[in-house]
Amino acid sequence: MRDPANDPHALPEPDFLEEVHSFEFWFQAVEGYLSERPYGHAPLGPEAQPPAGDVEALITTLCNYCVGETAALEGASGMIGFAPSRQAKIFLATQVVDEARHLEVLLHRMSELGVENPEAQIERRANQGLLTFKRRLLELVAAREWEAAVFAQNVVLEAMEFTVFEAHARRADPVTREVLEGIVKDERRHMGFGQNDLGRRLATTPHLRGRLLEVKHELDWLVLQTFEQTLGEIGLERSERPELGRDYLAAVARLGLLE
Amino acid sequence: MTDPLLAEGTRSRGPRRRFDLEDTGFDEVPKKYRRFYRRWAGPEDVLEANEVLCPVCRIVIRSDRELRPGDRVYCMPCMSRLVVERSDTGRLEARVSY
Repeated sequence: MRDPANDPHALPEPDFLEEVHSFEFWFQAVEGYLSERPYGHAPLGPEAQPPAGDVEALITTLCNYCVGETAALEGASGMIGFAPSRQAKIFLATQVVDEARHLEVLLHRMSELGVENPEAQIERRANQGLLTFKRRLLELVAAREWEAAVFAQNVVLEAMEFTVFEAHARRADPVTREVLEGIVKDERRHMGFGQNDLGRRLATTPHLRGRLLEVKHELDWLVLQTFEQTLGEIGLERSERPELGRDYLAAVARLGLLE
Repeated sequence: MTDPLLAEGTRSRGPRRRFDLEDTGFDEVPKKYRRFYRRWAGPEDVLEANEVLCPVCRIVIRSDRELRPGDRVYCMPCMSRLVVERSDTGRLEARVSY
């Protein structure tokens, strides 16, 4: 007989959902990969730094990552107030902490690379398309549009970040790689939360599809264009680049939002 | 969809093979669940009869018994409920079930 206390596949679905949305699950999960890694990486020597010629492009890339993480930090925190269930509120609270950590470790990474005022560099270097995405996401949150905000934040932004951070980590210097790998582990939860929440909603409320298609048309190209540029900045040849929209397009196909 | 708890012994193909799951170093879920997941090593990674790949987050989901079409499994790292299916190529695949 299987033991639902220790075998996840034996859990009844309501118990599974309760477990994976819980603060306790989050806490025990992140403990596995964040402890002993202050600011997202183990202490490493100067040989772990990127070649001098790569630093400028890396700083610009990190600035754009910070814009994305700030958007999700402000978005997720605002969404707690109108999230439709206790489970969603608790999950979003854990996402807020994750996003705050991402922002902090990315700013810290810039400091390690010699940037004296990272905030000023973000102001100067941030991609305009990504700033527009952030403004529109926060407008959807202010309007308390749950499905549209979840789609923009947890499907569009998180799925593309997941792909780009994974690709970047594979060719980054050892410190940046470890920082990004830690972020990707968090992104799995954020991306999955969005897709599963919307999947369940669309199954019972199919008329939501029209509004989500509007959001998709308006916003996904802004993130796609930004991260396409990012992949170029980090030196990935076109032939080496993952299909940037891969995870995102697979997600919208599963949700029935491909046209 | 078949709840694995109910499926045992109800199929005509005989008992399922059992697998001893060992911790593979996967660290994205609480300790007690870690042996049920492992990292995917890419397209060359050969999955065992008790494994399927999560299409959402590309983590390998493992069971302590052979998986068969219709089984339900969960991907805890991305919070997805999945149903095991047989693909056109004969391999087991997981489909997200909302």
